[in-house]
Amino acid sequence: MSTGASLGPVTSANENLAFDALSDRVRRRILSILGEGEFTVTEIADRVGVVGRTTVSSHLRVLRTSGIVTERRDGRLRYYSLDAEGSVRDAFNFLQSLLESSVRVADREQDRPDAARREAG
Amino acid sequence: MDSTATLSAESVVDLPVADTFALFGSGRSEAWLFDARCERVAAGSVVSMRLPIDGDDRRCGRHGVELLGRISAVRANSRIVVEHDQPWRGRIRLAFDADGAHRTRIRVRADVTASGIDWLIRRGGVALPDPAPTGALRIGLLTTKSGPGAVYASATQYLAELAVAEVEALGGVGGRRLELLVADDATDPALAAAEGARLVRAGCRAIFACTTSSSFDALRYAVRHDDVLLVHSVINEGGASGGESVIRFGERPGDQVAALARPLMRAAGGRRWFLVGQRYSWSFGAHHAARRVLGGAGGTVVGEACVPLGTTDFAGVVDRVAASGADIVMSSLVGADEVAFQRQCAAAGLRASTKALSLVMDESTWEHVGAAAADGVVTALGYFQDDPAAGNADLLRRYRDRFGPWAPPISSLSETVYEAVLRYARAVRHDPDADAAHQGRALLRPAGAGSAIGERDLLGRHLYLAEAGPEGLRVVDEAG
Repeated sequence: MSTGASLGPVTSANENLAFDALSDRVRRRILSILGEGEFTVTEIADRVGVVGRTTVSSHLRVLRTSGIVTERRDGRLRYYSLDAEGSVRDAFNFLQSLLESSVRVADREQDRPDAARREAG
Repeated sequence: MDSTATLSAESVVDLPVADTFALFGSGRSEAWLFDARCERVAAGSVVSMRLPIDGDDRRCGRHGVELLGRISAVRANSRIVVEHDQPWRGRIRLAFDADGAHRTRIRVRADVTASGIDWLIRRGGVALPDPAPTGALRIGLLTTKSGPGAVYASATQYLAELAVAEVEALGGVGGRRLELLVADDATDPALAAAEGARLVRAGCRAIFACTTSSSFDALRYAVRHDDVLLVHSVINEGGASGGESVIRFGERPGDQVAALARPLMRAAGGRRWFLVGQRYSWSFGAHHAARRVLGGAGGTVVGEACVPLGTTDFAGVVDRVAASGADIVMSSLVGADEVAFQRQCAAAGLRASTKALSLVMDESTWEHVGAAAADGVVTALGYFQDDPAAGNADLLRRYRDRFGPWAPPISSLSETVYEAVLRYARAVRHDPDADAAHQGRALLRPAGAGSAIGERDLLGRHLYLAEAGPEGLRVVDEAG
């Protein structure tokens, strides 16, 4: 994997979608299934087991919007797989947003004069 | 080589530069500069920085994530550089520049390696493909890069890499190259099981686990039908054998307490013990062993407290210890929990009335507790950096040559992994493809005389007794 590539434009908050998308247990399960290859919704639902096909479809829609899952159509069937490049891009975007929030002092910090002082030693 | 990318961000804050600089490490700035914590803003100080990654959701077994590392350079009111090792290896550079008299321009730059990006993606739940099989003999390291256990596991991956590099330099294993895959259990048994299964799918013939006993148990269950050798290569409570393909190296709590009970009771001038630990098999086993040993040594247990892994507030426990009239507090807490507990004991003044025994006070945990708060804590482990054993000075030199002056200290927990990998390579060199039970039997066969580094007897119960002083953990005696 090459990570020396350009980092693209500065991200906005909602470009962190993927990390939000992954907060769900079923979505994480779907991703681990897709780690083994390309599957249809029915195949994924069979493997997940605990939820139905409609629920899996809506989870797949979230994952696709986040850019970590891609869809391929073949006739009437749709196949889903991981988008590795999307995942890498998303990880960079996530780190970028962490850095940006780290240098933003919350307003309340600046309102409290004693917040800027440290105890000696 | 791990390729590196650099990200940066900057902003202007309405504070003079000295005040802005002083916020770093104060632990009062919330998300600002990652809520960095350190005792002193000085080169060499250990630092922890909080990463807001999927919160700290214990309901699904997830702990918070911290960058653990060390300040490597400081220019007052101007620059701070942090080199971190957990959860991945990287560097963060902070620059503070005056923007007029009352404002400061702050710039943060982070060097991120490919393995850092890999870690983030896996942490997100995306199953990245594993490297395609090669002709090499593949082994796995299941370690802890995040959650409370990350503190004691800081140097584990480096020591495993050092062992593999040294095996490779000598021609590999029976003519085969030795290849290491690394996985993070995030101090979470469910992840330990999933990552262990992944290492097996990737073709690992053996997995070395530097994890909690809960994670090791989950790993053992997850791969119970697979032909893979499991080696628990850190201090553990023992027991629960899984046949010939499951081996548990490392210190045992009963031996530790037996070595320290009498000297501690003499020093404390009392025999009353309070046991503090966690609600899982390690502490349960350790406290059971301690009660047995103390019963035979004339000690009495006057209180016990067990908390969930991931506890940071020990006020209630500290109060109970103080109220119990105990002479000695034995802690079996591990990692960040132990750091918080020992700091809170010291802050509450418990050191004046009690002696402290910590079962897992390795060098890495010690430096996160800090010299002042850890002062006087005693422990007993099979290895310390302050180890008189033959070959130790040379090991320390090779480690520093390879990983630099800012890498975390070697400790018993990481050195045991180093020893275990070397021992494995020697044991299976005649038949690297033997099944796991064969490999396990070969690994247990006595090899070498015993105490020299690189050939340390991991089944013997030799312990060094050490006490925390201003410079670190100092070996004061030996047992076993």
